[in-house]
Formats: sequence, structure tokens, C-alpha cells
Amino acid sequence: MVLSGWESVFFWVFALSALVAGLLTVMARNAVHSALFLISTLVSVAALFVLLGAEFIAGVQILVYVGGVMVLFLFVIMLVNVSAEERGSEELFNRTGQVTAAVCFVALLVFGLFYAVNQSAGSFASNRSEGAGAARLRTAETGVSKISEDTQRVGASLYRYGALPFEIASLLLLVAIVGSVLLARTSKQELVADDVDPRVIPELSAAGELTPAEIEAAARAKAFEV
Amino acid sequence: MTSTFALFAPPSFLDDLLLRFFGQETVNYVVWPFIQIGAVITLVAVWALYASYLERKISAFMQARLGPMRVGKWGLLQPIADAVKLLTKEDLVPEKADPYIFRYAPYISVAATFITFSVVPFAPNWGVITDVNIGLLLVLAISSVGVLALILAGWSSNSKYALLGGLRSSAQMVSYEVSMGLSLIGGLMFARTLSLSGITTAQASDSVWFILYQPLAFVIFLISGIAENNRAPFDLPEAESELVAGFHTEYSGMRWSLFFMAEYAAMVVVAGVATTVFLGGWYFPGVYRLAGGSNNLYVFLSLVVFIVKMAVLLYLYFWLRWTFPRYRYDQLMDLGWKWMIPASLLNIVWTAVTIFVLQALDGRLDTVESLNRGVNLTGQGKGVAVFMGFAGLFIAALFLAYLNRHSRDFNLKKQRREIKLVDVPKGAPAVARAAADNA
Repeated sequence: MVLSGWESVFFWVFALSALVAGLLTVMARNAVHSALFLISTLVSVAALFVLLGAEFIAGVQILVYVGGVMVLFLFVIMLVNVSAEERGSEELFNRTGQVTAAVCFVALLVFGLFYAVNQSAGSFASNRSEGAGAARLRTAETGVSKISEDTQRVGASLYRYGALPFEIASLLLLVAIVGSVLLARTSKQELVADDVDPRVIPELSAAGELTPAEIEAAARAKAFEV
Repeated sequence: MTSTFALFAPPSFLDDLLLRFFGQETVNYVVWPFIQIGAVITLVAVWALYASYLERKISAFMQARLGPMRVGKWGLLQPIADAVKLLTKEDLVPEKADPYIFRYAPYISVAATFITFSVVPFAPNWGVITDVNIGLLLVLAISSVGVLALILAGWSSNSKYALLGGLRSSAQMVSYEVSMGLSLIGGLMFARTLSLSGITTAQASDSVWFILYQPLAFVIFLISGIAENNRAPFDLPEAESELVAGFHTEYSGMRWSLFFMAEYAAMVVVAGVATTVFLGGWYFPGVYRLAGGSNNLYVFLSLVVFIVKMAVLLYLYFWLRWTFPRYRYDQLMDLGWKWMIPASLLNIVWTAVTIFVLQALDGRLDTVESLNRGVNLTGQGKGVAVFMGFAGLFIAALFLAYLNRHSRDFNLKKQRREIKLVDVPKGAPAVARAAADNA
């Protein structure tokens, strides 16, 4: 992708803001501020997706990450009420092991980046010469501005080539939800929902997880339902 | 319409005027969008002012009162007086609040709402600010960012009531966003595009409103939209009777009014999307002929049609607010997860079945005209689609009744029967017994 004119200005603005906000995410002293900087990073990345002509991915990025995931993050941060702020300050780069690991990782990243850029430079140039980018665009419904058919492409390839991984991913998420709900329930809640085998109840009450009063209350609630 | 690709085609006399001062590209991409954006922001701000007036007047008429009458004729200048009061009020920041987040939260809420106006097609041609491929997705995405403002405002105030309001709002909006997004998919299956202008043209070219194909989705969208806007009967985040004022308890002056401005603007966005997807947008039969070939007149009349449709939906908001009592919090969640989301999922399946039936019948009945730009149907095809749409209402009712057959969420009679009074002997009702004791 070769940038020109305002495109490159927008690219630099959003790329830099993504980087700076990403740095501030790990440097902020307050957990909520961290989450806010992470949101800024995600929005900047969404803007970069728009520059790539992937509007659908950009929209989904904001809808899922900013509107869904980060809202739940903030929800959790506020519920557990992380004790205000980290007051004291610590010297940076104070442990040799950490610094070495970080430097190695950065070196690998930079090497990978340059390798990828070198590899793809040729193919981008050939694409550009054919004007492939401009030809793909079709006029919008109002007949004036030009937009890409990104949404159709994503949908078609997701259901044509990626149907199985897509379904497996959704199943995985479902299992995760069911599992977390099961883990979070206390024996008392399970008893009330009538999910405990009657033979297990004496064991639980012997282990002190259920008091006799709770067992009686659950039995009464069940009698009400019938 | 000029051949150079502009974001839209402006009225020619204004275009000529602007071309004297700027180049073609600058006019198309910078000057015109700014004029449109300015017009929309001004109109929405004025609406937000007068929505408070309307709210008070409508509530007054429903309760056989007069409402504001002192400032100006029929109290018409009351919103101006309110605005002056709010602007001159002290801008208070609580001592233990997080000062930055507290100050910026209202801006997030206003910005998130106003950005969505950029893709709402108010009219064809120059009535659109921009027409992007992901229009509807953009509206959903940006309005979901609005939740952040409420949570942040609630948290940064460092007040119990505000925090509770913020948490409630996040839970409520995340749940209702799901059914809101899912209910739109049925309409998209008929329009075959996410662009809001495209959805309107799909309806205009087929001379139909999607509410006829999708009555169930329209109801779901409207209910979820009201919940998404935190309007009564879903105004749990700012329930006055329990949370003082919810997430904006600590706000005063202009920042407080920014939240209200965002709320009223968000109402317009939801009404605008409902109008576009279900009520045919700016399309109304006969308007094109009425304009008699004049493009600008056609656009203006379409704009009026759009605003009238939106006004009907907005009146519904006020009407519902003064008609229904507020939901209890668990009822609100039950309504979202046990009723709205299953119904919207059923709607998607049912719409797919409808389109399949239409295509299967095509050989015998001649139902489908073309499929390339949305589903274009013949008269018979429309009849089948409308029949299937309204049949969907009954199927959804049966499905929900079966799904929630053990649920007692809304069975108030049974809930009342089960209220347990402490230490009251069985037999005579508590009140009668107390009366007998007194006597």
C-alpha cells in the first residue's frame, strides 16, 4: 500500500496516536485511565483499518472491542474497585533480565517487520501499476462516492471458506460462558436452582458449605414452585 | 449530478456560488460537508432545547395541566431561559472526583451521538452528508461508544448513586444493543446492503416499507432503542426514586445539560434509523410526481417526509414515558435476555424462511422480480412477504410463550400472592387482622 497526500497524514496521525496511547496504557497509574488509553489505541487502529479499505473490520473493531469488551473491562474495574492509584515511583530499566528479554523481543519484531516489508514491496508495486485498488471500488447507492465491497467479501469468504473454524470458535465461546457461569455459582445458588443431587447435600452440609437453614429455605422455595 | 465523484450533489446555484471562491475538490470534500454538518448540528441542538419544552408540555397535557406558560407566548421561550440559567450556573467538580474524566465524560457522550448523524440519510441527493458502505454498522458501533460516557461519568463522580447508575447503564445498554443489532438483520436481508441510503433506495425502488415485511423486527427495534436511550420505562440508570439522578447526580450547569442534549440527540438517531430501515426513509409514494421534475423541490419534500416520520416516532417516546411505570431491574434484564433476544433471533430465521419461500414459489407464482439490488418483488411476491411477516408475529408469540412458560417475571398476580410478610400467622390477611386488632 502506497500512501499519498492526506492519506499519509492520517496514517501518521493515527499510527502515532496508537503508539503513544499504547505506551500510556502500560504507564498510567490508574486502572481506569489505562483502560481509557487502551480504548484510544483501539480507535486509532480502527481508523488505520479504514485507511486500508477494510471499513467492515473497522466498524466491528469499534463495536466489539470499544462497545463491548472495554465496557465490560471498565465494569469489572469499577466493581472490584482497584485501590485508587499506585503511589510510589519505581526506577525504569532496573533489572538486567527484563531489559535483555525486552531488547531481544524488540529486535525480533524489527527484524520481522523489515523482512515482511521487503518481501511484500515487490507485490505491492505490481498491484499498484495495474490500478487494482481503483478498479475494485464501486459507486455508492447515491451514485456519487466510491466505496469498497469489503462487507460482502468478508461475509462471503467467512461462510464459504471459513465456516468450520467460525463455528468452532463460536462453540468455544459458548463452552467458556457455560464454564464460567458454573465456576462462579456457589453451592447455595445451585441448591436453589435445584441442581444438586439430594445424595450430595449431606456431604456439602458436613463440609460446611451449606447451613441447615439454607437447605430448608431451598426446599420451601421448591415446594412453592409446584 | 456532476460526473466528478462528490460525496453528494449540492443544489447547483449554491454550488456555482461556492465555486467562485474555492476549487471543485475543496467544495465537494470540505466546504459542502462542513455546511451540512453545521446545519445538522444546529438543528439537533435546537431540537434538544425544545425537546425539554415538548416533554413538559406533553406531560402537562396528559395530566390535564398547562405546563410552562410564563416565558413568552405559551411558554415558548422557556427553553431559552433554561439554557441561560444552565450556562451561567457554577460548573462544580466534586473534591474527590477524577477531574479529567469528570470533565470529559459529557463530551464523549455528545460526540458519540453527533458522529452518527453523518450517515443518516435525511433526503436523497444533497440531504445526505456521507454514504458509507458500513452505514448501519457505523451507527451501531458509534452509539455503543456512548455507553462509555455514562460509565465514566458514574465512576469519576466518586459517589455511590452515580456509580450505581453507571453500572446499571452499562449492563442495560450492553444487553439491549444485542437485540437492537439482531433485529436489523431481517431488513438487511431484503435490502442486501449496510449503506443507509442503499436501504432507503431498496425500499423506494420496490415501493414498499420494510415494516410490512418485518413488523416483528420493528417492534423489537423500537423497544430496544428506547431501552438503549435510557428513556422511561427503561430509565433505570437515572431512576429518580432510588438513585437521585443516577450517573449525572454530581453534574451541574452546562456539563449536566450536555448529557441531556446527548440523550435527546440519541433519540433522534434511533428514530432516524428506525425510519430509514423500517418506514422507508425519505420515500413516500407520489412525492416524486409532486415535485414535478425539480430536483431541489424533490429533495426538500423528501426531507419533510423524513422529518414527519421521525416526529411520529419521537412523539411515541414521550407518550410511552408518561404512560408506563418504570420496570424493576430484574424485569428489565429478563425482558432483554429472555424475550427480546430470542425474538430477534427467531426473526432472522423467519426472514430467511420467507426469502427461501419467495424464491421457491417463483416458478409457479412469479414472485421475485430481480435479486441483484436488494430483493425486488412483484405484487404477488409482496403479498406473500407481508403475509409471512405478520405470520411471524404470531409465531414469535407462540415461541416466546413456550420459551418462558415457567417464567414469572411479569406475572404480577402470582408475585403478589407470594409476598411473604414476616411473622404473620396464616389465615386472615395481614391488613384485615391489623384492623381487627385496632378495633
